[in-house]
Amino acid sequence: MKSVPLVAVIQFPGSNCEYETARVIRDSGMNDRIYRWNQWRELKDSRPDAYVLPGGFSFQDRIRAGAVAAKERIMDMVFSEAADGKPVLGICNGAQILVESGMVPGWERGRIESALAANHISGRSGYLSRWIFLRASDRAQQICPWLGLAGNRVIPLPIAHAEGRFVFSEENHARAESSAALKYCDDKGIESSDYPVNPNGSFLNLAAVMNDRGNVLAMMPHPERAYWLWQLPPWIPGEWGDKRGQLLGSGSYAAAEGPGSLFFKSLADFFRGEH
Amino acid sequence: MNLQDKLKEAIRHRSLAMTLEEAEKLAGYVGRMPTPLELHLFDTMWSEHCSYKSSRSVLKLLPTHASSVVVGPGEDAGIVKFTDHDGFSWDLVVAHESHNHPSQVLPVEGAATGIGGIVRDVYCMGARVTGSLDLLRFGDPLGSSGEKTRAICRGVVEGIWKYGNALGVPNLGGDTRFHDGYDDNCLVNVVSLGFVRHDRIVHSFVPIEAHQEQYVLILVGKPTDDTGFGGATFASADLEDESEKGAVQVADPFLKRVLSEANLNVLDYLFDKEIKFGFKDLGAGGIACVTSELAAHGNLGIEVDLDLVPVSIPDLPSEVIACAETQERYGLAVPQRVAAEVLEIYNEKFEMPRLFPGAGATVIGTFTPEPFYRVLHCGREVANTPVEYITEGIIYDRDWEPSPAPVIEPDSRPCDPQEDLKKMLLSVDGASRSPIWTYYDSEVQGSTHFRPGEADACITVPIPGCRAGLSVSGDGNPWIGELDPFLAGAHAVGEAVRNVVATGAIPIAATDCLNYGNPEKADVFWQFRQGVEGIAAACRELGLEGEDPLPVVSGNVSFYNQSSQGGAIPPSPIVAVFGRIDDFSKSTDISLKTPGNLIILVGNRMDELGGSLYYRTCIDHRGGKVPEFRGKLEREMALFVLDCCESGMSKAVHDISDGGMILAAAEMAIASRPDARRGIIFETGLPDPVVFYSETPGYLIEMSQKSWDAIENKPEFLSVAGRVTDEFTIASPLWRMDLMEILEDHADRLDRIIWREEVTE
Repeated sequence: MKSVPLVAVIQFPGSNCEYETARVIRDSGMNDRIYRWNQWRELKDSRPDAYVLPGGFSFQDRIRAGAVAAKERIMDMVFSEAADGKPVLGICNGAQILVESGMVPGWERGRIESALAANHISGRSGYLSRWIFLRASDRAQQICPWLGLAGNRVIPLPIAHAEGRFVFSEENHARAESSAALKYCDDKGIESSDYPVNPNGSFLNLAAVMNDRGNVLAMMPHPERAYWLWQLPPWIPGEWGDKRGQLLGSGSYAAAEGPGSLFFKSLADFFRGEH
Repeated sequence: MNLQDKLKEAIRHRSLAMTLEEAEKLAGYVGRMPTPLELHLFDTMWSEHCSYKSSRSVLKLLPTHASSVVVGPGEDAGIVKFTDHDGFSWDLVVAHESHNHPSQVLPVEGAATGIGGIVRDVYCMGARVTGSLDLLRFGDPLGSSGEKTRAICRGVVEGIWKYGNALGVPNLGGDTRFHDGYDDNCLVNVVSLGFVRHDRIVHSFVPIEAHQEQYVLILVGKPTDDTGFGGATFASADLEDESEKGAVQVADPFLKRVLSEANLNVLDYLFDKEIKFGFKDLGAGGIACVTSELAAHGNLGIEVDLDLVPVSIPDLPSEVIACAETQERYGLAVPQRVAAEVLEIYNEKFEMPRLFPGAGATVIGTFTPEPFYRVLHCGREVANTPVEYITEGIIYDRDWEPSPAPVIEPDSRPCDPQEDLKKMLLSVDGASRSPIWTYYDSEVQGSTHFRPGEADACITVPIPGCRAGLSVSGDGNPWIGELDPFLAGAHAVGEAVRNVVATGAIPIAATDCLNYGNPEKADVFWQFRQGVEGIAAACRELGLEGEDPLPVVSGNVSFYNQSSQGGAIPPSPIVAVFGRIDDFSKSTDISLKTPGNLIILVGNRMDELGGSLYYRTCIDHRGGKVPEFRGKLEREMALFVLDCCESGMSKAVHDISDGGMILAAAEMAIASRPDARRGIIFETGLPDPVVFYSETPGYLIEMSQKSWDAIENKPEFLSVAGRVTDEFTIASPLWRMDLMEILEDHADRLDRIIWREEVTE
């Protein structure tokens, strides 16, 4: 590993969250670099310590969201690095790519075992942007390098997607629980499958799924949009709302960290060997 | 056939919008019967949409100069100074357009292309686009054309999210209003904004260096097809029927996103090598306009070879290749010596031909010292005209005649605050807009501080590491428009300014889109003149920075907004105001915070309820005396609010507009935290419609008793209206309304009407 870890952000044609994602990696004390989809040689040469697939609409969501990007040559590299245990995070469209590449839940190598289906909300279709609340599963808190600092806290984050509903084939339903990394809950931390607590009808209220080893995490919400406290809406209830309210009007408000920072700071800690 | 008959025949056969006189003028310029390409090129250049031929003489009334203005109206977008950070000056780039007719005919594609077109105007100044707003006017969703109106509304919202979200440009709000005057002609106005380093502003003409060195024209983007052929002309005539769908373009946000990334790469390459270049987006008039304008504004000629243009449909006539408005294309004027490197960035590095069949960059023309616009196709010359005529334009002086609406006040004004507030909160104009906002991505790019609905204006922090925040709001009230077209213009500026000021930002620039009926009608042209005069008057008063007016730096005029059956739309001047707050962390939202704090009313209530939500919703009356525009008072109030924000005294600020003070109070309560609900108790409970419902401009501010006591020499426009409570109610000593009872209805109302169609009356 490098003295300062290098985190690669992969830009696909149609990605649109690569710059803000790179920015929060940098702010977390790690090095960031954006690799264009056809820079697989450069990626190979620089051997990053971790990989992030950012949000967006890679390849125009052709066939299915994430399906075409999952077949790009640069993903071969991400796939083999993940198999070696390097941390990989897919956010929103990045999560869709990880699912379409079979990296999560990743039970059987090379098989696509889950899908991100269209949101299922009574009387509504299409895109949904709103703030939701999450909690990390016990297992994810233990093994996932992106969730070491999450603890049992209720984490408010925004979602922005039209296809974010995790589904599994029936024979895998029993197994799905073991891949649960983040689940939707209300602002008190109580899980529910009702809209809007579960905003898209996701199976088991899943907001994020990981592989068995926990190093690959596919999440629909956007932590990079809640990295700073000032990115939170004024109405956010609970712990984070209290924190926001206390710092509002003070000199430290503009630089205070929000709930999304937990994901990136966890990774930085992981590299320091603290987890 | 003599020339005149040939011209008449060409106008008819080609469905041109130009008059016979204009065609004769063109024939005089070229000294023969114009070619089809020349006819279509000039038809576009002389269309109302491109030439401002009816409006230009009136638009001169707008204040466009201020010390902060870098680029005023005239180029693709306006530019004002924003802030200095890290050794660089950053400028704000803004553009404002309409896409009304296309959205009425094909709502999804029309609205999508509206965003696609306006962001190109900002990109082509060299900026990164960091936000867009949509200002939407639909018919009455519960009226006689309700079914159609609801479908158009759904389609427009779908077009906006499908394009904007995929492009990765955050939606920074705007507004949505419903009025039966838009039943046959919706309005889709779009605003786009971005930031550019001052030393990296790009202009839309071939640079002076092209007089010394051979420059070529690179066309980049989507392969040309026949979409949008005649689009500018279509936008410049009455909407006769809906068979004109061919004139609507097809947008592609995916290609635009890749193209934008590649463009930034190309611009960086050219700047780093200190190479001068020109850059312009392809909009109205397609290749013909972009090539001729890049050349003409640089005082050069150009020779374009249409055989070199990548097309996705074979055997298109030359005038279609040259004038189609295929989306997602730009023209770039660069020295011939670097053309190969530029093509490589687009075609190899960003692999455009692999990502989209036929897309990419190609050299299609050569700039020439001879000032002629020449186009070749299949070995023939299909256009040859002196460039100076292309951009010369034409001007008409239209007749106008005052046609003021009579002031009719209602006979009686019953007032039951609890019931009236409920009615207003559940009316289509008073209901929450969240069913619309939740389709839009307002947070991509990670710079958003206030999303739509959280404060009076959205705020973003667009320059990484810099605390300067941008605050932006767009407004325009058709109910005022139909009663007083001058005040519609003045209050459009006034309300947008108030919204920006309420967040703590100082207004630095404005843009406008002037939506009216047929300018050839004297009463409509009078409405237009009045609107411009109203905007001008307000901008002269509301420049809050030094002695300068608030400059109008970009804008658009959209005439012919009426159907063959209906009359003109209500006069609809729509204004966007952009503000700067030096430290975004001091900005104020609308949510009530601390029980016991005072609610201060800024702006005494006047008996001027004409066009108010109360008249419309509670007593079914559409006339009356409209609030006056009191420029000096507006200015003093704004400066007071800015002071309160700067000193940290204001804990929440909301402007008073639709529904008056009582609706503003309710909105502040509804915005409070769900685990710390707040409400307001007013000092007076007397059922006086003027007190509670008047839309006289003003603000409500939450501040502590201590802060209030510390204000010395309180201006006479201040008074204590009430207090914050820890109950989720709007109350007085005489009555009390529980907001929890209507909370869900208020939030879902538009969803149930427009999308689920559960409410039809």
